Amino acid sequence: MKKKCLYLLVPALWLALSAALWLGPRQEISQWERRKLQQFPQANAAALLSGRFMSQFERFCQDQFPLREPFRRLKAVFGYNLVHRLDNNGIYLAQGSATKLDYPLNTASVEKAATKFQAVYDRYLQGSTGKILFSVVPDKGYYLAEANGYPAMDYAAMFDAFRAIPWATYVDLTPALDKTCYYRTDLHWKQECLLDAAALLAQALEVEIETDYVPTKLERPFYGVYYGQAALPMGPDALWILESDTLRACRVHNFETGEDGPVYNLEKSTGRDMYDVFLSGPVSVLTVENPAASTQRELILFRDSFASSLAPLLLPGYARITLVDIRYIPADNLEKYVSFENQDVLFLYSTPVLNQSSMLK
Amino acid sequence: MLFSGLTFLYCFLPTVLAVYFLTPAKGKNAVLLVSSLLFYAWGEPRLALLMVGTIGVFYFCGLAVGRETGHRRLWLTASVAIGLGLLGVFKYADFFIGSLNAALGLSIPLLRLTLPIGISFYTFQCISYVVDVYRGEVPAQRNVISFGCYVALFPQLIAGPIVRYPQVARELAQRSHSLEGFHLGLRRFLFGLGKKVVLANQFGELTRLFRDSGEPSVLFCWMYALAFTLHIYFDFSGYSDMAIGLGRIFGFRFPENFDYPYLSPSITAFWRRWHMTLGGWFRDYVYIPLGGNRVSKGRWVCNILAVWMLTGLWHGASWNFVLWGLVFALFLLLEKQFPALTRLPKGVAQVYGMLVVTVSFVLFNAESLAQAGADFSGLFGLAGLPGVTGESLYQLRSFAVLFLLGLAGATPWPKKWGLRLSARYPLAEVLAMGGLLLVCTGYLVDGSFNPFLYFRF
Repeated sequence: MKKKCLYLLVPALWLALSAALWLGPRQEISQWERRKLQQFPQANAAALLSGRFMSQFERFCQDQFPLREPFRRLKAVFGYNLVHRLDNNGIYLAQGSATKLDYPLNTASVEKAATKFQAVYDRYLQGSTGKILFSVVPDKGYYLAEANGYPAMDYAAMFDAFRAIPWATYVDLTPALDKTCYYRTDLHWKQECLLDAAALLAQALEVEIETDYVPTKLERPFYGVYYGQAALPMGPDALWILESDTLRACRVHNFETGEDGPVYNLEKSTGRDMYDVFLSGPVSVLTVENPAASTQRELILFRDSFASSLAPLLLPGYARITLVDIRYIPADNLEKYVSFENQDVLFLYSTPVLNQSSMLK
Repeated sequence: MLFSGLTFLYCFLPTVLAVYFLTPAKGKNAVLLVSSLLFYAWGEPRLALLMVGTIGVFYFCGLAVGRETGHRRLWLTASVAIGLGLLGVFKYADFFIGSLNAALGLSIPLLRLTLPIGISFYTFQCISYVVDVYRGEVPAQRNVISFGCYVALFPQLIAGPIVRYPQVARELAQRSHSLEGFHLGLRRFLFGLGKKVVLANQFGELTRLFRDSGEPSVLFCWMYALAFTLHIYFDFSGYSDMAIGLGRIFGFRFPENFDYPYLSPSITAFWRRWHMTLGGWFRDYVYIPLGGNRVSKGRWVCNILAVWMLTGLWHGASWNFVLWGLVFALFLLLEKQFPALTRLPKGVAQVYGMLVVTVSFVLFNAESLAQAGADFSGLFGLAGLPGVTGESLYQLRSFAVLFLLGLAGATPWPKKWGLRLSARYPLAEVLAMGGLLLVCTGYLVDGSFNPFLYFRF
């Protein structure tokens, strides 16, 4: 009898999970993976015959499975701690920091990026009297990968590829950064650690910037993008912003929405990605006006998301900074939004974007 | 629908089990047939009609062949031709057309038909059925539902084992169910699921990483070869375990398909322990009818070559599969010609067997002969690749425990120890089953790499 009762335990567990899948509440989004979850698919003849219903239903079961996050965590812990896989979903933990495997160097991608930047220069910047700088933002793998036995791309070769651009002055940011300058759960760097990097850039641009900021910690804990992807047990980060009277006075104009806002959009701190508090997150073109500027100089910043937290630190040196993200707008369309008139120009791109430059339009 | 998918595990199977066990004995086959057709239609809505048609055709052919009078041989020939014709049209037509075009410089357009899932398995079952009826080994099945159930039975529909009608004829008419049988079936199913999800998929991921690698090395080539060898074993034997377990739950006893083949001391022994139901099928329906080894030496060699070329071709419509089959034919002939090869010390013999099989699977998994050539060059240091790279060392470290688990799992020891433990501590067995279900679910929920190799056969 006792044995028979034992035999029923696993079927009971199985049945409970099945019932919970059918009867449990539906989730709209995955907070940790930052994506919409599949809802119950529409069933009609076309969807059934084409197999679309079936593939969407499979996705629905995955996305709406009861206790989805604990199950993802269980898999991650099993793989990472018991089977001793060194990464989970391509993300590893080194010195307490989650880092994405990004190797080897994709030379074709680097060349493609260089060609794209050359085209931007040829079209908009040739003959400009402003300063033109190029700088590569190393991802945290630069500081953590090899030191912890993980494969790393050939960073030196990547830096050299962009150092060789003849029309731009290359600024090496690596001495101004270290592994602690990055969030543990996210790919981005921490703004509070960027004063040295900003100083290097300001020196090359020959502008004066402030060094006196008030660091403010946001209330909510920051779970970065790697936290959800890795599903490994980690504590959250704290997100700090550097505030000053100058930055409080600046206004950001978003060309996509036509709206104006502050440098730090605190409404975004309750959204899917807290890093979006910096200049409201990913936007194709935006300008930041500095009414307190003692100069008329302007900067055009070709950038990816890393620049969102660094650009505010360059603001005191400029009357206006225009940030252009050619991942979201074709470089050929920039004339509609930006007048190129001998402004200073900074190309600031991170290694992950340069190593996968197909996203540049 | 895959057994190792959440839809099957948490939607299809519980529903079918509930309906099946609530239905009186008379209606159970009908439940299985309908659910099997739904299972099939889930993956191939349109081609489910082909399945229904195949059942109908072979049902009537079986009846015609089973009559005591009439043109029995003609019906047998017709039904075998229909079965082979189905395979020829859906699986091999484009291969033959492509080969003809390449050889003669023609440009005959390809048919580009969708390959019906499991067609190689169910047509072989149908052909063996009519042959067995013709030989008088079993009477023809008069109940179309029972026959349909034999052909389409979802536990073994898409990946075997290749069940022969006499093996389940009695169970189709009457079978018993018990809680213990259910438990044993569930245990077999879950351990098969674990083999597939926890081991095979991870080795499959390593083979993908190898193909995507920008830093190949000799070490990585060997890791790839071993990873694929373990991948295909745990994938296929895991699926067979799941099929056998499901069969047990529904009251069937399906034949075993694997018997720790990587411990084989020769290639001859390997093929007695790998995909046993396919080997048995070719032996009984091709090799022996051709005369087997009771013919002249030259004819015997031809028989061996024919059987192994067909075995290769059964696995896929591509020249690398044909070559793969012929490689085994060569080794089998060598072992027959030089029996010393099969009398090596046990450990040496096992290394020889494993090495041949591992290298052969590189050919098996190549997309083309050119890729196979490149892979072999890499394996044997002829491609100018470095011995090791940072990436290959990293992957070796990352997969080291899995390799050890995989190699250990390919031996009978874990099962022996597990059975000994469960006999002493039944609760431990149940906890292991529950834990395995949860871990596998975790992998599936995370959307991990989950291909199934034998789907394409």
